[in-house]
Amino acid sequence: MTPSESNIVLSADSLSKVYGEGTLRVEALKPTTFTAHTGEVVAILGPSGSGKSTLLTILGLINPPTTGSLRIGQTKVIEKGRAVANLDQQRRQQIGFVFQRSNLIPFLSAEENVRLALELDDVPPAQSRARSRTMLEGLGLGKRLHALPSRLSGGEAQRVAIARALIHKPAVVLADEPTASLDSHRGRQVMELFREAARSQGAAVLVVTHDHRTLDLVDRILDMEDGVLSEKAVAAPG
Amino acid sequence: MMDLAVKDIRHDLGRFVLTAVGLGMLLSVVLAMTGIYNGMVVDATVLPDSLAADLWVVQRDTQGPFAESSRVPQRLAERLRAVPGVARTRSYVTFNAQQTTPEGATRRFMAAGLSWPDDQGDMLPLAQGRALRAPHYELVADASLNLPLGSQFMIGRDSYTVVGVTRGMVSSSGDPMLFVSIADALKVQNDLVNEAMRLETEARIGRVRRSAFGRDPANLTRAAQSQLPALVPPPVSAVLLDLEPGQDVESVRERLSHWPDITVYSTDEQRALLVRGVIDRARRQIGLFRALLVIISAIVMGLIVYTMTLDKMHSLALLKLLGARRFVILRLIVEEALLLGLLSFIVALLIGEFMFDLFPRRVLVGEADRLALALVVAGISVAAGIVGLRKALSADPNQVLAS
Repeated sequence: MTPSESNIVLSADSLSKVYGEGTLRVEALKPTTFTAHTGEVVAILGPSGSGKSTLLTILGLINPPTTGSLRIGQTKVIEKGRAVANLDQQRRQQIGFVFQRSNLIPFLSAEENVRLALELDDVPPAQSRARSRTMLEGLGLGKRLHALPSRLSGGEAQRVAIARALIHKPAVVLADEPTASLDSHRGRQVMELFREAARSQGAAVLVVTHDHRTLDLVDRILDMEDGVLSEKAVAAPG
Repeated sequence: MMDLAVKDIRHDLGRFVLTAVGLGMLLSVVLAMTGIYNGMVVDATVLPDSLAADLWVVQRDTQGPFAESSRVPQRLAERLRAVPGVARTRSYVTFNAQQTTPEGATRRFMAAGLSWPDDQGDMLPLAQGRALRAPHYELVADASLNLPLGSQFMIGRDSYTVVGVTRGMVSSSGDPMLFVSIADALKVQNDLVNEAMRLETEARIGRVRRSAFGRDPANLTRAAQSQLPALVPPPVSAVLLDLEPGQDVESVRERLSHWPDITVYSTDEQRALLVRGVIDRARRQIGLFRALLVIISAIVMGLIVYTMTLDKMHSLALLKLLGARRFVILRLIVEEALLLGLLSFIVALLIGEFMFDLFPRRVLVGEADRLALALVVAGISVAAGIVGLRKALSADPNQVLAS
């Protein structure tokens, strides 16, 4: 194993997705092979309908691919289009999600929303509480621990969502348009958070985005068009 | 793992409590139905239980006064008193009446005749006053008639003094009971107005005149002056037998079995006839009504839990996206359903505790009834939880990405 191979945290091999059959057959994702490495922030660009969301749901273990294999961390989770690991467990332990909207659970406080990601994986409450507080305080939300999502501003809610995505130290963070609803300043703050998390936690962050304002903060840009993923350019280090 | 159900409830506590109160009120009706039936059984049997006779002697081939019309001559009591083993006989007669007060209120009651002087009503559960101590114009009334002690009450054409007040003495139809001497009871039952007496006298003179006996004018005068009622004494409904201490009930029954004009029942048999005859149809009716209410409660609760689940579909989809095990979702939905059931059950109990005494008829709810309702509510809650769970498990994590 070469040093670069040892840094791979996500490895997709010939992943494809086909919907329908016969004349209704749509190849949403053509066979796609790529890898993501520890500490790397990768942007996936592409117009609507290009297959970005399809790729995200496959990488997030929400929808199965039609063909191909997927490895996350040291675990092979999909082999020839079939799940070979407990996908719920993989999502709990290996993947963090961030969305355009914060998607926090409305009846849980900021701290509880973050704790949830740990407690779903059986981390004891005292430990999960302490880690959540530390992380939220680190994100400047120390005074908003007990606020319900309805009481948080858009930026605060998104930071809580990021804390939830990172708290369990996932191998991969999948972010779907995380800066779309934020102004330029807050958008950059979010991307900087991802960079920092990628570096400090050794996670690979894959960001599906239309937001060109923050591309200078990513390590790699992949372009998706008509279901085909290609390396577009390498961004200058931020 | 934090308790998601409790946190969800706390988030919208007012709505949850209001829902539980509504459901609790529905469950309280189920409980009331049970209590009303129990009350009916007690109401129906309180009279034979209070009279506490060893044997009931009724008209031949009838089931006795609780089931059908039974008429036995008053003299039967004297004949029965001569039977070996019989310590005391009491004639039994009851009648229903309705009085309108000067204020226009209607008082409906059932009057029972006590066999004065042997039975003065000392066995009655008196709350105030005393039993009968005079052969005429005294009465003991149930408290539900609202007759103050010492007040006067008109029955028929006579005024009676209230000398005692009982509590919980009602007829099988729930009317309050009132006790007078049997002579007064028979008088009220068989009393004739002046015009009826005059017509009967005229008819009697006519009958005498048409007979050979009427050819003597002195006989005609005698017929006109004779007092009414001139016929046989009015019958009673039954005769109650109290046996001598240690006397075997069956041996006395055996002795009376050869008498051609009577049928003998034990008090238990009379109670059974009463319950079977008077209450059985009401029991089935209430049972059916109760079953319907349980089904309605189950449907309502199922819909409530389903709606609560619909409200949470996005959160459930998010939980699934985050990798929540099925048990986490199951616990969230079923625990909420059980907590809703528990709170509703408590509300139903509280309503029963504070409201059932205000019902016009007796409502008796026992521990077994409460336990049965608790089990029914638990069953309904689990069923409702399963309805919600089916919906919850269909939550699609893709919804989160699409939103």
